[in-house]
Amino acid sequence: MGALAAAIAVGLGALGAGVGNGLIVSRTVEGIARQPELKGQLQTTMFIGVGLVEAMPIIAVVIALMVM
Amino acid sequence: MSQYENMIARQRKWMFYLLALLVIGAGFTPYSRIFLGLLLGSSVSFYNLYLLQKKIADFTDAVADKQPARGLGTVSRFAAAALVIIIAMRFDTYFHIISVLIGLMTSYLVIMIDFAIFKNKN
Repeated sequence: MGALAAAIAVGLGALGAGVGNGLIVSRTVEGIARQPELKGQLQTTMFIGVGLVEAMPIIAVVIALMVM
Repeated sequence: MSQYENMIARQRKWMFYLLALLVIGAGFTPYSRIFLGLLLGSSVSFYNLYLLQKKIADFTDAVADKQPARGLGTVSRFAAAALVIIIAMRFDTYFHIISVLIGLMTSYLVIMIDFAIFKNKN
């Protein structure tokens, strides 16, 4: 049961991160394709967004490994 | 340098300062297990930060040049976090596991503080 709990924790965490990253990346790609001169600003925004979105699934991975 | 390159340089600098402080803490205080855990977690966190910075720069450059873009390296970062926790659990005598977990989150702290301080300056 521990392995199942770990798998569910990681899976749900990664699902949320996938949706969040998808939204961020799609908007950034759209923005850069429209206005390539804004690449620097959009890169910064994307970096902060992706970084913070990925914090939660990393915690999920860690906790899943600890409870397994 | 662009806004993004400036931000990368600042974050790298603060992570190095933090790692130096943790090395001093591990060497000169009686709480070496906690500081070693923080050091291990922060090192991997720094690797994750570097990977994220590099992958995002590559990705956006590829998009701007209309080249096919590669992935963002999410799985590599998850795997690094999993590896560090496995190491901490295997060598429990040397690393305090909660400290490793806190150390893993330091790069996010650096990102947030850097963003809060410099969001209006650039």
